[in-house]
Amino acid sequence: MLALRTAVIVVGTVTLLAPVCASPDSLRFIACPVYRDIDQGPKSGCWLATDPASGIRYDIGSGRSKPQWGREVLVEGVASQDTDSCGGVVLQPVRVAVLQGHCNKHMLPAEGFAGRAFKLPAEVMQQMWVPRQAPTAPFEAQEFVIFFGFNSSFPSYQYSEIILEKAALYALASDPSRIEITGYAATQPYEVSGRTLAEHDELARARAEKVALAFERLGIPESVIDVRWESGAEAMLGGDDGLAEPSKRRVVISIRKFPVGHRR
Amino acid sequence: MVCLVVFAPAGNTQEALYEGERWWAPGQGEQFPDRMSFENNTGIVTTINSAGAVDTAGHPFFEPLGSNGRACVTCHQPADGMSLSLTTIRERWRETAGADPLFAAIDGANCPNLPQGVASSHSLLLDRGLFRIFRPWPPVDHDGNAVSPEFDIDVIRDPTGCNTNPDYGLASDDPTISVFRRPRPATNLKYITATGFPFEPKNGLPLPNDPLTGLPVSGNIMADARVRTLREQAIDAMKSHLQVEGEPDENDIKRIIAFESQLYTAQSFDKRGGSLTDQGARGGPELLAKSRAGVLNSASRSPMWDEFESWIDLQDKPDHLSDEQFEFRRSVGRGVRFFRERTFLISDQAGITSMNFGNPVRNDCNFCHNMYRFGNDVAPGQVDLGTVNHPFSDPQPHLPLFKLTCKDGFEPHPHLGRTVLTHDPGFALTTGKCADIGKLTIQSMRGLASRPPYFSSGFAQTIRESVEYYDRRFYMQMTEQEKQDLANLMSVL
Repeated sequence: MLALRTAVIVVGTVTLLAPVCASPDSLRFIACPVYRDIDQGPKSGCWLATDPASGIRYDIGSGRSKPQWGREVLVEGVASQDTDSCGGVVLQPVRVAVLQGHCNKHMLPAEGFAGRAFKLPAEVMQQMWVPRQAPTAPFEAQEFVIFFGFNSSFPSYQYSEIILEKAALYALASDPSRIEITGYAATQPYEVSGRTLAEHDELARARAEKVALAFERLGIPESVIDVRWESGAEAMLGGDDGLAEPSKRRVVISIRKFPVGHRR
Repeated sequence: MVCLVVFAPAGNTQEALYEGERWWAPGQGEQFPDRMSFENNTGIVTTINSAGAVDTAGHPFFEPLGSNGRACVTCHQPADGMSLSLTTIRERWRETAGADPLFAAIDGANCPNLPQGVASSHSLLLDRGLFRIFRPWPPVDHDGNAVSPEFDIDVIRDPTGCNTNPDYGLASDDPTISVFRRPRPATNLKYITATGFPFEPKNGLPLPNDPLTGLPVSGNIMADARVRTLREQAIDAMKSHLQVEGEPDENDIKRIIAFESQLYTAQSFDKRGGSLTDQGARGGPELLAKSRAGVLNSASRSPMWDEFESWIDLQDKPDHLSDEQFEFRRSVGRGVRFFRERTFLISDQAGITSMNFGNPVRNDCNFCHNMYRFGNDVAPGQVDLGTVNHPFSDPQPHLPLFKLTCKDGFEPHPHLGRTVLTHDPGFALTTGKCADIGKLTIQSMRGLASRPPYFSSGFAQTIRESVEYYDRRFYMQMTEQEKQDLANLMSVL
């Protein structure tokens, strides 16, 4: 169990990252994904989805989360000029979230498309025995932000763990008096493909508690962890891919040396 | 039966077999040597004891500790790669008319209430090599606290009668669910307990920690991951399988862990291919003992099954080999390449396709069987291969069938929906989560030839049958040659 849990229902919390209100030029739609089976090695293959508003088929497979066939997806992204190697306009950046709605499972053959080989992210988790470099002093206040998928508190593989480990190493090295872990959820409704979407309040808490559990397992004393959650999150400039709406679904880890006895 | 056979195939190193009794009885008190080799259907399996010979007299791994006369060694036999083969089980039945402690009513019978000493009461053990595993319902967590499950269980079919029995079933005073599983090998534990990465990709969290040491645990012990450490496993086994009353002795626990942790087992010789250390190959258990555990395979630095790298693309048959031996080695080499390179579509396999890889995801055998030298999962390896969950499971009419219904307010199983038919809820009996129904921990691939049948429910009687299952489960459309190559590789590990 974590020591401190504070529900803060406040919109517009000041953070070290600046909030923004306007979404960049991005597409958002709900669709049934189609898998195009192109063998370019492990984790290759293409994911396509058609925007029902325009009838344009997009390549939605370049994000860190891929669709589940037979389930609707929420697609958020920006049309890029990248070469079409799958049979659709490439969305880059792109976020894909699996929804509960059912679809037909549909798979296409290569049909002459080249597809693309899987590329490891630039930074991946090192194996256990590889020595980690501990951060060195001076230790300034620092924030780490982890973004989540729509309606999800699942820390995405080959993304979240990198940030969590960095944050934990910083916390262990800097011996902070306080670590605030604040979960946010995008609870303000918005329209996508004729449907109203909004995240549930409880998701902010679930995200924060998952990150707090991760910190606990990584050896951070629970006595310095303060778990908070806020609904009605604002978009945040400087998200990892620049997409505004997805940046509302986040956890911010604030590692600071507050004066003894301080409570915000 | 005393084994005095020595294999001496043409042009190959002799492999001396253990000269003592093949069956290692509890309390027999002989020395457990530093190297023991036994014949099996396709060759020889060898177990080495890296700390040297052990005097088993009074040793808790070898002595009956509980009320039923069993010891750990009863179900972890050196001749069977420290597991237990169906052949051995049937032989013990014949030799003892069912009186061996192996057939103890508690879990060696289909249900303890059945008349003992009658083959039909032990049919799952005698026909499939399955022991009864009885788990509390609702589940309890690792600290003994009740878990509120996300699903309800209905018994659809109960051929053993145990799940509906008023004394042993789900409606008993001590509600229990009985599933039936193969025993896992008590060897190569360095690999089973190895932690490759600090995080678990299947849930995105850091590995949980051993409450006693504070160190991360692998999550790869036992089919349903109901224990975190070898200590917890030893206690669980003593209390259940050995029927030890009260709290097990701490010194016994330490000695059991120390002993089993020094064992390494692998196939060391093949009847068709000869020595597994010839022509540059490095089969056998010695390399396992020397190597680092927990390494994720990598094509450039740690390619899977590079023990047999030199058998890939063999061109010229040396004089000391027969045509059959040479062709077998070429087949193993092709099997290695297949294992590493042949991609196929993995679909609806919770634990793999339920994370952000997508569903389906194209990958190869060493995507899941990814630990270098060993073939289990570097991460906690709970996945739903489909061996017990319908619709992917074979019918298996001899097993109980349960209907699990996910309760309102909880997410359904990611691929199978709100209602799941299963022969074994698996990991969900530990976590209580719908997403974990039918997930079972990926097994060791070493010493396979010594311990048929395969998969947790023992439905594949041979290695070839296990290959056939993968072929139809994932629509791999393997050629006959590919099936044989893969089976040959698996038989020499």
